[in-house]
Amino acid sequence: MLLKRQIPIFIVMFFGFLTLFGWFIDQKQVKDFVDIHGLQWYGIISTFAIFLGIITLIKLQLIKILKKQKGWQYSIVAILGVVFSFTAGFIYKGNPNIEWGAHVIEKGTMFKWIFEFIFTPLSATMFALLAFFVASASYRAFRIRNFEATLLLISGMIIMIGRVPLGSSISSWFVLYLLVFILGITINSIFKNRNYTLISFSSGLIIVTLFGMYLGWPHDKPGIFFLPTLQEWIYKYPNVAGARSISIGIGLGIFATSIRYILGLEKSYIGE
Amino acid sequence: MRDKNFLIGAFIVFLIFLFLQITKPDLYISDRGLLLFLILLFGGILQFSTRHALRGGDVFLRTIPGVKAVEEAVGRSTEMGKPVLYVPGIQDMDQVETVAGVVILGHVSKMTARYETPLNVPVARSIVLKAAQEACKESYLVEGRSDIYNENMVHYVTDDQFAYAAGVNGIMNREKPAACLYMGKFYAESLLLAETGNSIGAIQIAGTASQSQIPFFVTACDYTLIGEEFFAASAYLSQKPDLLGIVKGQDIVKIVMLIMIIGGTLLRLFHDLGAINFNILDFLTITKG
Repeated sequence: MLLKRQIPIFIVMFFGFLTLFGWFIDQKQVKDFVDIHGLQWYGIISTFAIFLGIITLIKLQLIKILKKQKGWQYSIVAILGVVFSFTAGFIYKGNPNIEWGAHVIEKGTMFKWIFEFIFTPLSATMFALLAFFVASASYRAFRIRNFEATLLLISGMIIMIGRVPLGSSISSWFVLYLLVFILGITINSIFKNRNYTLISFSSGLIIVTLFGMYLGWPHDKPGIFFLPTLQEWIYKYPNVAGARSISIGIGLGIFATSIRYILGLEKSYIGE
Repeated sequence: MRDKNFLIGAFIVFLIFLFLQITKPDLYISDRGLLLFLILLFGGILQFSTRHALRGGDVFLRTIPGVKAVEEAVGRSTEMGKPVLYVPGIQDMDQVETVAGVVILGHVSKMTARYETPLNVPVARSIVLKAAQEACKESYLVEGRSDIYNENMVHYVTDDQFAYAAGVNGIMNREKPAACLYMGKFYAESLLLAETGNSIGAIQIAGTASQSQIPFFVTACDYTLIGEEFFAASAYLSQKPDLLGIVKGQDIVKIVMLIMIIGGTLLRLFHDLGAINFNILDFLTITKG
């Protein structure tokens, strides 16, 4: 019990307090521990722990092959991959002119070959899949279901069009005329009265035209209807306001969670 | 405020802080005093709330739909006879989100033990593997179902981000879990995982403090625990008064911060207008490295 409970909790509390209050102590050893050594300790421990992971991986894949579980053929590939990488990393360099250690970064070695011609293309393939997933996710998010989804669609479209060269080619007056059309449609769908629709639509057209003639049809004015300016505003203000409020919540959550661990209130991470 | 012990303790800590600020000993970096004060203040508020809850004080926690849905998701998996997939992020235990993810895993594994539902936890770091195995083992033991605990339910995949995403996507496509839970720190792989989970028709619940990944999870998952909800989930699931008290304390800290933000903005405004000489930005800026 002492080894599995009290000592781990004591270690967490001790190093938690040391790291937190070490930032206020002007002493070289403490500063070095907080800034450098503590992190190095963690790096060393986690590097050794990798063997634990590899053993688990091989064990699980072997069980799959032996029991011929669903998809056992993939397990053969996984084990071959581990053996191949291990060989290239620790046993056979593939180029006697390059020193051990440097073989992981120098060209012309088996390890580097694995990295360049197997690992990198496979990673890039996975990353490239994101483009398609973003498209399918956006389709679902932008479907007009309620007010929030409509708002998301409109702001998303403004951001997208405003950020490409096409956006700066669209005059604010075009957007204004578009808004007059939308206003007409909205009034028609609310009142379902032809006269109201005609009056609102035609008066909107006249007001915008007169206003444009008065100002001399400047391409980017009024700025609020110029898409690049509008997208910049959405991006800088409503977006940042929302993001910051989430950030404050996250910061508080992290602080409170850390305090829970440091004070030993939360012990679930050791299975309690 | 009837907690005498807390008040005495807080008073002593405040006196020590004052002593350090006034005497400015060589070992103490007094320029960072404001930050130390805030840490002590916020820490004190959290500690007070915890003690208040432990003494039987009333703590109301609003229903978090995402957390409530966790049990539903496990129940659905049980009914369908399919496994629950739990992804604790791709970062190591030095990230608070990963630790929070492992803590929530402990609660989820209690449910899977109770309902005898298969659980699959692929991890991306070896230390997370050990911690997650320990959390699951303990949960199965607590539920009296250590007989169905299998060490291989928590297994290591790889450290690499996209290789891990490929591995987990493969598991999803082969095993078709009925529920996919993503709780931890995520980067670009979040959408790869969530969209694959969506394509197999699994009920998906995500929880993360990775701000840039929240929109992806909101789009692709059924429920998302955003930021602090994710950190509060453990308290909500455990219903332990000390943990619930901390959540209440967080809200008090939030009110204090709100007052500070408004006060700071007003002070800066008055300074810019020339009404006062005090510049809040100079006061808050730490100059000594």
